[in-house]
This record gives sequence, structure tokens and C-alpha cells, in this order.
Amino acid sequence: MTAARVIVRSMWRKASGKYALIVLGIWVIVSLVSLVWTPHALLDADGFHAWQAPTGAHPLGTDGVGADVLSWLMAGSRTNLIIAVLTVIVAGVFGLALVAAMVSRASALRSTSVVLVDALISIPTVLIALMLTVPFGASAAVIVAACGFAYGLNLARIVRPAAMLAARSRYVESAVWSGASGMRVFLTHIVPNAMPVLLVQLSMSAGTSILAESGLTYLGVGVGAGVPSWGHSLATSVKFISIYPMTVLWPGLVVTLTVIALHLFGDALRDAADPLTNPELREAA
Amino acid sequence: MGFVAKRFGLFVAALFGLSILVFVALRILPGDVAAVMAGTNATAARIAALRTQMGLDRPLIVQYGDWLAGLLHGDLGMSAISGKSVASQVGARAAVTFPLIVLSLIIALLIGLPLGCAAVITRNTRLRGLFHALAIVGGAVPALWSGLLLILLFSRGSGLLPVLPSQGFPNNGWANFGRAAASLVLPALATGITAGAGIMRYTRAALGDAAQSQAVAMAMACGMTRRQALLRVGLRLSLPQLVSVAGLTFAQMVTGVMVVENLFALPGLGAMLVTDVGNRDLIAVQSELFLLAAFFLLLGLVVDMAHRVLDPRLKNASIGSGEVL
Repeated sequence: MTAARVIVRSMWRKASGKYALIVLGIWVIVSLVSLVWTPHALLDADGFHAWQAPTGAHPLGTDGVGADVLSWLMAGSRTNLIIAVLTVIVAGVFGLALVAAMVSRASALRSTSVVLVDALISIPTVLIALMLTVPFGASAAVIVAACGFAYGLNLARIVRPAAMLAARSRYVESAVWSGASGMRVFLTHIVPNAMPVLLVQLSMSAGTSILAESGLTYLGVGVGAGVPSWGHSLATSVKFISIYPMTVLWPGLVVTLTVIALHLFGDALRDAADPLTNPELREAA
Repeated sequence: MGFVAKRFGLFVAALFGLSILVFVALRILPGDVAAVMAGTNATAARIAALRTQMGLDRPLIVQYGDWLAGLLHGDLGMSAISGKSVASQVGARAAVTFPLIVLSLIIALLIGLPLGCAAVITRNTRLRGLFHALAIVGGAVPALWSGLLLILLFSRGSGLLPVLPSQGFPNNGWANFGRAAASLVLPALATGITAGAGIMRYTRAALGDAAQSQAVAMAMACGMTRRQALLRVGLRLSLPQLVSVAGLTFAQMVTGVMVVENLFALPGLGAMLVTDVGNRDLIAVQSELFLLAAFFLLLGLVVDMAHRVLDPRLKNASIGSGEVL
């Protein structure tokens, strides 16, 4: 059995891992399906049937221009999927670059990066996003950049202790003495040691990117107008509140369940992918 | 003393860097504030006249110097759209946002600290699981949604249990104290619950670490029960971390409340910033962004100092040595 299959099987065995895998699986499938099919076309707006109560044809009702709320929610999942994946990539690369600087042997680089992270970490994501919105306009790219930057800093701060520990270890010392380059030492010895923390943090930043998207889009500085996203659906549902209060529940529930799944996914993956905590993985390797 | 001086120097340097960053970010934008102000059917001559009047045609470095000198004198400039001074606008908005943040933080601490402690103290695995689930679910709820749910439950008009006003801040502000305070309760709850889940997670982690420490083992060996040892010795050990977390939570709330300020129609700082960004009110946005970011840096400074005072182990560690804990 390959390592990947062992990991998935170990995750599946625990209730939290199973929940995470199922919800994230549905998320990916719905995103793919929405590319080719949604119950109604997104731009199929019927002004005569605006603000409709849920019916068989429109299970979640229609919005202010008569478009189907469920279709927009489905199409929104792919936007959020792309934002989450890109945020994880940006945060991971930026965060690891900072960690590399923080454990490097050049002491000037080391102390500068530590100081920089400490100084910038208290600036919230939303403020960075607003700052970027002024010159670049509201877009998904701004959300990714702001989230990636903020979570990269966070990641660096949290991963640093594990990385420092590894950097001072005997095996790193021996690797350095046998002539390995700094880059090679970092990638083959330090990153794997930081992996458990890294996985949890990255999967949490995917979840936080969804929350950030919904808040920013509601404020009008998120994904552009007319782009389907969960934030867009949530913002639409706000206008529903005095008409059909129960339809307010669905978009928020989708966001909450997905963010929970991402939190649990990180924990489950850490436990399953770490050979120290998962004996089956040692046998497979 | 060396630490305080160094940390303060870092703060000033960061402020300076920040001012450059904000200035550059706002001057590379394609939209022209003069064109926006002059309106859609203004002549080119009128726009040019406005540019001269506002000093936008001077070299960037001069504009920057002017702005910086103004900041140092407490002059934040004039809003190009409303014509009022930015400082007075910020002051009026802060009178709504700060009470809201403080109330949210109090709610968050009231939720997070006891639950976080209980999660470590209890030996009942089911109860532990429940606390774990609470922390995860609480941290996954978008503030917009919890605000909506609170409106559905408690607001006058549409709620199931109509006890609180749903939206709006009284026009006469804090002069109408009861109404003003009541209008802040639901928004504060909406952000307080989410932040409380975060504080609960940190409390659980910090106290959990302290529970493994020799100090707690010693206290128990001297005759304290596990609960006493955790609450008297363990909590003191984790206090520096908890103060840091509370400080950062406080800072994050300034933007965290933006969504609920909008939802509950409160005239706060967040609503102002979003409106000004939408209007491309360059001068106002520049000063507001700088002011807010400076506030976060200041809080970072205060938290670091407090951490230092509360944790005598840090006395000999220096900045950037990586030897913190």
C-alpha cells in the first residue's frame, strides 16, 4: 500500500477525520459539478419572481433580481475553493521563506526577520486587504494576497520553535559538516520536522480565508460584483432576513461546516501523516 | 532598560516604515482624487485647478513630507469628500467603536477563560470532547452569520425573544446612554463569541502546558488539590501568554467589528474606513489607515512590555535572539 492510501485510511478511521474527508470531498465535487451544471443558470434572472420563498424549483428561493440562490451558492464553492488553495500556497511559501530566514546562519538576516515578523504580526488581515484594495480594486487576488501575507507571518511565528529545535540538532550539524547546502538542509531536515505544525496551520489558514472572504465581500471589498462566492451568498441572505428568515441559515451553515472540516482536517492529517504517531505509516514505508 | 529602549526604537522604525508603505500604496492608484471630487462632467481645467489647490501636483516627496509633518502635529488632513477634518471624524467614530470593542473583549474573556480552564481541569473525557467541539465550532462561525442569528433570536421586530433593539445607534449618541448601550449588546455578542472561542483555545493550550510543569507538580506535592494547583499556580504561569493573546485579540477586534458595525448600522471606525475606501477619499484613507496600523503596532509594543513584566524568566533575553522561552 502506498503511503498516501495509509494516511487516508487512518484519517477515515476516526470520526473527526471522516467528517473532514466527507465535507471536503463534497466541496470539491460540488465545485466541479457547478462548472458544468447548476439547477438554474447564474444569470437566469427573472425580475417577476424576485425574493421568492423556497419552492421545488428554487429550493432556497430567489434573490432580489430573481436569480436562484442555490445555484449561486453552488457556484460560490468553486470561488472559495480556488481562494483557499491559493491562500495555502502563498502562506506556505511566504511563511517557509520567513522560517528559513529565521533559522539561517547569517545572524543579521535572522534577527531582522524575527523583528519584522513581530512588528507586522499585529496588523489584521482586513486592514491589509483594505490597503491593497485602494490601488488594485476589490478582487479575489487581493483576498489571496492579504490572507497569504497575514497567515504566512503567523505560520512563521508558530513554526519557528520546531524549526529552531531541528536546526540545532545533531543530524543537521552532521549534514552541514558533510557539505550539504543550506537550502538542502532546510528542505530535507528542517521542513519535515516542522511538518506536523505546518499542516495544522495551513489547513487552518484555508478555513480562515473562507471567513475573511465572507467578511470582506459583505463589506464590498471582497470578490468583485457579480462573482459567485459564499460571501456573496451570505451578503444576499442578509437582505432576506425580513422576508424569509429561515433562508438566512443556509449560506452561513455551509461556511461554518466547511471551516470546521478544515480545522479537523489539519488535526487528522497531522496525526495520520506523522510516522511518530502513526505506526502503520512506518510499516508502509 | 536595554530591552525597553530597543523595543521602542523598533516601534518608531516600524511606524516610519508604515507611513512610507501607506503613502506609496495610495499614490500608485490609478484613480485621481481630484477627478473624483470634481464630479463626472468636470472640465480638465477644473480638475487641474483642484489638483493645484490640494497640492497633488507637487513632487511626491514634498507631499509625503507635508503629510508626515502634519501627522507629527496631530493634523490628519481634511477629508476631500466631506470637507471635515479627519481627526474629528475619527474621534466621533471611535466613541462608538471603542466601547463596542471593550464590551466584545469582556464577553470573549468571560466565555473563553472559564471554559478554557474547565477544559483542562475536568477529567471527564466526554466533557473534554464537548469543550473541544465548542472551541472548534465557535471559531468557525462567520461574525456576519452569528450576528444574523442573534438578530433572529433577540431583536425587536423580527426576533423570537424581542428584547433588544436590532439596528442603529441613537442620533444623540451617548447622551441617550441606555439606548446607546443597548444597541451595542448584540453586536458585541456576535464578535465576542467568535473571539471567545479563540481565547478558550489559547487558555486550554497555555494551562495544559502549565499543568505539565514542575511548579504544578510541586504545588500538588505540597498538598494542593489538582484544581487548586491549576488555578493558583498554573494560571499564574500561563498569565503572560494569556495577556498577549488578550492584547492581540483586542487589536484584531478593531477590524473584526467592521462586519457587525455594518450589519447593525453602527457608525463606527470600520464603517467609516470602508466608505472612504469606496469613495477613494485619498487623504482621509491615508491618515485613517496609518492611524489604525499605528494603533496595532502600539498595542504590540504594550503587549510585549506587559509580557516582559509578567514573566521574570524573560529578563535576560534580548530582542531577536530567538531565545524567548
